[in-house]
Amino acid sequence: MKTFFTFGNIVLKTSSKYNIPLKKFQASLSSSIRSLKNVQNTDDTTSAIDNSLPGSSASLSQVTKQPLMTSRDLKFPVHHTYPRLAWLDSLASLEGTKLGMIDLHPDVFGTYPRIDMLHKNIHWQKLYRHIDYSFEPSRAELPGGGRKPWPQKGLGKARHGSIRSPLWLSGSKAHGPRGPKSYFYMLPRPQRAMGLRVALTCKYGQNDLVIVDNFDLPTADPEYLYEMADVRFWGYSVLFVDDTDVMPEKITEAVSQIRGFNLMPAYGLNVYSMLKHDTLVLTLAAVEKIEGKLLDELHSTRVETKFVNRLRPEDFRTKPKEDSTLRKPFTKPLMF
Amino acid sequence: MASKVTEKALNLIKSLPRVAISNVKDLPGTLYKKKTNRSAGRKKKGRGDKGQGARGTLDPLGYEGGQRPLIDAVPSEKYYGKYAIRRQYPPISLLEIQRLIDLNRVDVTRPIDVSSICNTRLYSLDVAKNHFGFNVTEEGCDLFASKVNLEVQWVTELVIAAIEKNGGTITTRYYDPQCLAALFDTQAFFEKGQPIPKCKLPPQDALAYYSDPNFRGYLADPEKILMAREKLAQKYGYKLPDLTDDPLKDLLLMRKDPLQIFYGLEPGWIVNLADKCILKPKDEDYLRYYSNVY
Repeated sequence: MKTFFTFGNIVLKTSSKYNIPLKKFQASLSSSIRSLKNVQNTDDTTSAIDNSLPGSSASLSQVTKQPLMTSRDLKFPVHHTYPRLAWLDSLASLEGTKLGMIDLHPDVFGTYPRIDMLHKNIHWQKLYRHIDYSFEPSRAELPGGGRKPWPQKGLGKARHGSIRSPLWLSGSKAHGPRGPKSYFYMLPRPQRAMGLRVALTCKYGQNDLVIVDNFDLPTADPEYLYEMADVRFWGYSVLFVDDTDVMPEKITEAVSQIRGFNLMPAYGLNVYSMLKHDTLVLTLAAVEKIEGKLLDELHSTRVETKFVNRLRPEDFRTKPKEDSTLRKPFTKPLMF
Repeated sequence: MASKVTEKALNLIKSLPRVAISNVKDLPGTLYKKKTNRSAGRKKKGRGDKGQGARGTLDPLGYEGGQRPLIDAVPSEKYYGKYAIRRQYPPISLLEIQRLIDLNRVDVTRPIDVSSICNTRLYSLDVAKNHFGFNVTEEGCDLFASKVNLEVQWVTELVIAAIEKNGGTITTRYYDPQCLAALFDTQAFFEKGQPIPKCKLPPQDALAYYSDPNFRGYLADPEKILMAREKLAQKYGYKLPDLTDDPLKDLLLMRKDPLQIFYGLEPGWIVNLADKCILKPKDEDYLRYYSNVY
């Protein structure tokens, strides 16, 4: 049995297994907002996260008692603009529990949206690993063609010196593609960092960024995650990013069965993956790590040295090159 | 408040379609298109039809059709004569030094020298460009208000007056290129594991400058420097602060040995960053080499 809810043009579809009435969803949301207003700012933010109780069956009175996170210390505070705000959500229930509201650094989540920088990053990510294998043999490499096809004069025909000339149908191609060609290059480090900042800004600005406390799910059923994306309007593809590469078992199992949902550690975060997925889900620890690294990069005085690829084909050779000077020529013994 | 331009742009993307791989574009006009066209019938490659332009036989620059060109007619003034072997002193103004101090980029509780200025990563020297250290220029001499022990490579009289008026001291010091390379990237030098070099004496044409008390040269007689300080104070009309019972006396009178390039480290020692220890030579020949000028 399936039920449908309509919001103007949008049709909300829920399956029978995780059916939730819409009124309850709205009620829990508004109650958590109300509870936020009642709670005063707590200085000890870390303990607030540890003690949080994201229970899906929490009643209204329990929700109001929850210790909430209402601010966050930002590194390199700025005065020209204000910190951006984001909900701290939870994956423990389908509709989500608002555990608090956190500050995001405006230099990372509120920069000028340089779309061209995103393009440069994506172009680089596509190109640096691309190798063009197309190859056309030259006229020297084609078989034959050493003999003059017919005499220069006296036949009334056009003069030709080789049957492999580019003019001939069976000849070679002039200026054809030659061999495996690498398109590897490095985008300058500041531009790579800026690409990440702009991508995060776009995700935040378009309401495609979700920040959760952790990736603990009540069940490993992929249907649950699928429903959650449906209820929360996450779109068809979601990228989950945690600060480590050891993820909880349940989400790993669930995500591996859904096409378009992916898990990624913070060190693998890149512009291409962020823009490929509709929604980006970060844990709070991942936010801390990503923001910290990008801010350190922004404020470091380290000068980038130009990347030079010094690897030569010899470095990839598995067999050692044979030393011809070591080999003694075989000589026949003199026979009398 | 935030920049209005940024705010406007961020408001704009709220209502636009989702930024995705399929809809990001580069700025218009960034793609460079080649003019070469190999298709049949096009063989001029944008160079026009015939003549010098097409064949690349234009007259060289400055050629005036056979008459004596201007470049030969005017006598040359060799501002850049022997440029390749001249010593270069990149400028750093007093205003910039004051700014470094105000922003805590340099530590005034330690003597300021080439390494402390280069460690800010805002200034760098290049041995390949014949850089021999910093030239402190006079810009901001009225604004300078710090009591520092400064060691630089080239100064003028006004700069010395500006620093000594505030109770500081200044020395001009020569470093040969090998020592300078060790000084401006200290970590890179220590990672090489080489012994700290001993500093050479200045070349003949710089010897007069670095032994001149008026320029506070490091080879000058200290008593003559005291007299020169008094003289300069009288010339510019300021009262020279008394250093005898100054709490910063030790800092202000800290000087390096003419052979020494790092404070607290002697030439010949090896700083081992991996084991965090200092290796000192014991061999007498080494000790004799590192403690003598020649």
